[in-house]
Amino acid sequence: MKRHLLAIFVLFSIQAHAGEEGLSHVQVQTSLAAIQRGAETFMGQCHSCHTLKYMHYGDLKHFGMDQHKVDEWRGDQALDAVISSQMSDEAALQSFAKVPPDLSLMTKAREGGPDYVYSYLLGYYTDKDGMTANHVFPATKMPDILGGSMTSDAAQLEAIRKQAGDIVSFLTWVADPHEQERQRLGYYVLAYLMVLTVLLYLVKNRIWSRLK
Amino acid sequence: MANKIIAWVDRRFPLTSFVKHELTGYPTPRNLSYWWNFGFLAGFVLVLQVVTGIFLAMHYKADVNLSFDSIQHIMRDVNYGWLLRYMHATGASAFFLVIFIHMARTLYYGSYRRPRELLWWTGQGLLILLMATAFMGYLLPWGQMSFWGATVITNLFRATPFVGDQIVIWLRGDFTVGDATLTRFFALHYLFPFLIVGAVVVHLVALHTVKSSNPSGIDLSHKDNIPFHPYFTAKDFYGLGWFLIVYCVFVFFYPDSLMEPANNIPANPMLTPNHIVPEWYFLPFYAILRSVPNMVGGVVAMGLSVMIFAFMPYLDRSRIPGGAHYRPVYRVLVYIFALDMLVLGYVGYTPPTDGTILLGQIAAFVYFMTFLCLPFISKAEENWLLKRGFHPELEALVAAEQSAIALRNGGGVK
Ligand code: HEC
Repeated sequence: MKRHLLAIFVLFSIQAHAGEEGLSHVQVQTSLAAIQRGAETFMGQCHSCHTLKYMHYGDLKHFGMDQHKVDEWRGDQALDAVISSQMSDEAALQSFAKVPPDLSLMTKAREGGPDYVYSYLLGYYTDKDGMTANHVFPATKMPDILGGSMTSDAAQLEAIRKQAGDIVSFLTWVADPHEQERQRLGYYVLAYLMVLTVLLYLVKNRIWSRLK
Repeated sequence: MANKIIAWVDRRFPLTSFVKHELTGYPTPRNLSYWWNFGFLAGFVLVLQVVTGIFLAMHYKADVNLSFDSIQHIMRDVNYGWLLRYMHATGASAFFLVIFIHMARTLYYGSYRRPRELLWWTGQGLLILLMATAFMGYLLPWGQMSFWGATVITNLFRATPFVGDQIVIWLRGDFTVGDATLTRFFALHYLFPFLIVGAVVVHLVALHTVKSSNPSGIDLSHKDNIPFHPYFTAKDFYGLGWFLIVYCVFVFFYPDSLMEPANNIPANPMLTPNHIVPEWYFLPFYAILRSVPNMVGGVVAMGLSVMIFAFMPYLDRSRIPGGAHYRPVYRVLVYIFALDMLVLGYVGYTPPTDGTILLGQIAAFVYFMTFLCLPFISKAEENWLLKRGFHPELEALVAAEQSAIALRNGGGVK
């Protein structure tokens, strides 16, 4: 019975993860250092256009990021202010004919999740007409922010990849700030349930042995 | 003191006798396998959903401008809000999984047969209520898939003769799915679980009238029944342990694996997602809907695919006791059907191409043919088994029962 149950679950989780082909895999990091590096790049490179409407500057500080950095990022905004973009919707519409989407849930809102965002950021190239294009999102209106299409220097490309990885780690944290807490709690819950189930099994056997 | 209070109550209300007859002392066949655990599990998940749901409702806002944000508020700011929400969302999938297994067990062992027809039909009613509740609940986060799923499904009611358009508007409360739809779905999503609780009571009253079936399919009650407590309470709780382990693996480690990414994008009536899929538990029925080229036909086929289970007591004409275990042909049919469900699920999930449409049509055909051929197959199988002889186990059981009956009648023992 358990085997069948598992098979069904596995089947459906495989289905739920289908459609990721063509994306490069990113190892999402969960260390404070990596997430803070990602935050720093985000504030420098993405914040001008994109919002994180479910994040407040205070959340970054609360998570343990460097107080001075957070103060620097927020400028004269309050600590409990939402991380809004520096560009008005009208200005964005003028430049891109589109308002850049909020990135708070981006790593959960696309098929492929973090891999998608990572591959998108690194997917830029220069086509044969000298135009910038993107493998992952061909018609995208976003310019090549990290500059991967403008260099062929191996060291520089490696640095860009690392930057993208950090940004994705940061955005993954932003999408689900309780993930680490959830998994930590999960181990305790499962350990408890396993002990409980063993005990229940013994109790059940004991009671049923009266019948023999 | 406690005894005094109970005696006081008993003089005014049949408390002790109720507990004794219906709960602790309820006579239960001792040979029930673990497949009989799932009814209890369904009851457990129902309570889980009601409890987590009530706490979620304390923080949720049913308003097109606030819903999506209020879910994020629950996920981020409410103490253990993420746990409540993931438990509730995973709980919906768990509910269907448990119910599907519960139904599969009933079908496999033939528990729907005389005298359990009403028990089976109340179960069918519960399935419909569960589906309606889950469907309305899925609108509440107000994501892209919520919105478009509700749009597609409410739109199906256009197939109603003469008043189709009016019915759709009446259901939505507006010309399109919007604020009116969201608030009414929330109200009904809160109401329906209590209707389910009521229907479960009816289901249990029917069960306790006809008593549980058992894997042999023969009524062995006179010699084989044991009290529900402590034997089946112990067994059910042990099964619950396993259930909770699987459930918690999903809640704590893979909570997003059963959610569509598109539902993390706020609903946008101007932008159709390129691929609208329902939740996994609706996929086989959705595939049947899509495999009929004509909309009215598709709706009828889908409705029938859910309701056809109700006809099982009449479609299965075999009187061979026990389930598929003692009926080789029926067993093959059950496995074909289970496999067919998986194929339909796959077809429902993938974007339609010529290949999957054809596959879906074949699978839908097989789905209905297993039911429609059953009257003939079951009768033929019965005749064949009567001629060829039963499964040795069944033969022994029947012989034992017959001699027991003979002994009782002849020996003058009651
Ligand atoms: C110059 C403004 C600008 C900057 C800076 C910018 N973006 Fe964007 N971004 C956009 C626009 C415009 C879109 C909408 C693209 C579209 O839909 O065609 C977008 C879309 C996106 C998307 C969604 C793609 C999709 O599948 O819909 C992601 C992810 C994203 N940006 C990430 C980033 C990250 C990470 C950074 C920082 C490294 C960044 N952006 C910096 C303008 C910008």
